[in-house]
Amino acid sequence: MMVNNVPHTGSGLILGIESSCDETAAAVVERGTRQLSNVVASQIAIHSPYGGVVPELASREHLRAIVPVVDAALREARLTMGGAGFGLNSLDAIAVTEGPGLAGALLVGIGYAKALAYALSKPLIAVNHLEGHIHAVLLEHAASLPVTGPLLALVVSGGHTHLYLAEHHNHTWHYRNVGHTVDDAAGEAFDKVAKLLGLGYPGGPWIDHLATHGNPDAVPFSFAQIKPKVHRGGQRTSDAPFLFSFSGIKTAVLRYVETHAMAASIAARRQQITASTKPADALQLCDQQTLDLLASFQRAVVDDLRRKTFAAAEHYGAHGLLISGGVAANRELRSRFTRAAGERGLPIAFPALSLATDNAAMIAAAAWPKLLAGDFAPSSLSARASLPLGQ
Amino acid sequence: MTPPQTEFVTHSSAETIAVGRKLAALLTPPKFLILHGDLGAGKTTLVKGIAEALDAAESDEVTSPTFTLVHEYEGTLDRHGKRTPVLLYHLDLYRIESERQLETLGLDDLQTDDSIVLVEWGEKFPSVVKRSQGEIVMTSLDGDARRIVLKMKPEPTAAKS
Repeated sequence: MMVNNVPHTGSGLILGIESSCDETAAAVVERGTRQLSNVVASQIAIHSPYGGVVPELASREHLRAIVPVVDAALREARLTMGGAGFGLNSLDAIAVTEGPGLAGALLVGIGYAKALAYALSKPLIAVNHLEGHIHAVLLEHAASLPVTGPLLALVVSGGHTHLYLAEHHNHTWHYRNVGHTVDDAAGEAFDKVAKLLGLGYPGGPWIDHLATHGNPDAVPFSFAQIKPKVHRGGQRTSDAPFLFSFSGIKTAVLRYVETHAMAASIAARRQQITASTKPADALQLCDQQTLDLLASFQRAVVDDLRRKTFAAAEHYGAHGLLISGGVAANRELRSRFTRAAGERGLPIAFPALSLATDNAAMIAAAAWPKLLAGDFAPSSLSARASLPLGQ
Repeated sequence: MTPPQTEFVTHSSAETIAVGRKLAALLTPPKFLILHGDLGAGKTTLVKGIAEALDAAESDEVTSPTFTLVHEYEGTLDRHGKRTPVLLYHLDLYRIESERQLETLGLDDLQTDDSIVLVEWGEKFPSVVKRSQGEIVMTSLDGDARRIVLKMKPEPTAAKS
């Protein structure tokens, strides 16, 4: 998909900054497609030559991390560019997450980005975090997705489960929210079920690994049909007929555990799993009943996401699908979505793991079409904790 | 003086939402309450009803703050025959592990004269318990039944102004 159809004479380099929730991140991306660097604070902590940033949620931690993280992103970009010739002045713009997220956390990134843009006399670009997730996929796969017609995006993570129609026309991306969860996000269900069964956090990788050893048909889980309801006052505020609900299945797993006398084995497993235990080591700590429960849970969640996503794709005549957010890393989700898309002849794309979870490369990538369109943020830009995407 | 206590028993999520609507009338700002209940007790469901009653959100729009930590809804409240603005904050401290992390959420900033702050898993932190004016306790009974109790502290602690 060609989006750079407006002449651009600059370097095409955008520094992206993301601090909406747990991660402080910075990245340099060229023309929305080539990652020169992609740094997340938690990675720095692992090999800590930058002073041992401890990645923790909330604003004070972002405040500590932002300078070393941006420095690391610029340094890595310089290396990728082959050293000489790259500096802060090579940037065409500074992009930053405006929302949704924690107000205090967002403000750290926004304050830093504003100061940098002002000092360098570069434009400032505000990006919606959810739009960023969509561009995490476009960044790598724009070429394999159709040029015209709407794309359907499923953004599925610990904090979000949204369906968006995304369409590029008049040099601008347009989004329409056509589905969302009414209670828990899908990733949250993975986390809470993992916790219920004495596994580690975040729950996704544990369940992904262990579910392959269980029978997905062992425990029947059903999803209640959710009917969009008319607001008492009159009209609904959003036209989002594809609604998800993952709170019920969490309770269903809890009830299964209670009625099948699994408490003792769960308590034993919880004791044996430490911070250094890997999902692969947990297999020997799980009996067949637990593995079957995990496999059935994962199948139920993936099937529900798949059914509604493909129903929405058909309903809106989407020309392609893109799946993003942390849950997009789940292997069963990838294989079942890929098969379903193949049966329908629909192009489908997933992000690389480093782009699936929160990162700043997706913010820099989403900013590129805005740079071409001259869609810049005012110097009064502030955090918008509940910023929606699309109508 | 016995502290004011209000108790409800519900048998479905629809009934829990209805109780949330009733509770909203008792939550005159400023309020800072712990929302106590195990996984699956229906805490988010109850907040749906409260948010609806305050015209702050439709029930579909109220989602779990477990990952996002703080959800804010702007609504209105009938006060002296006039609709006045109210801010509803729904917090979840499930993922918060220390008082130091908690500090960074800026509870002081949320606790204003026109706000209702409901904090899930607030009982984990003595500082939150101390700050709170009471709690809403949700308990799972048999099947889908839930007991919902609003317990105010005997002496209404002076809300931070």
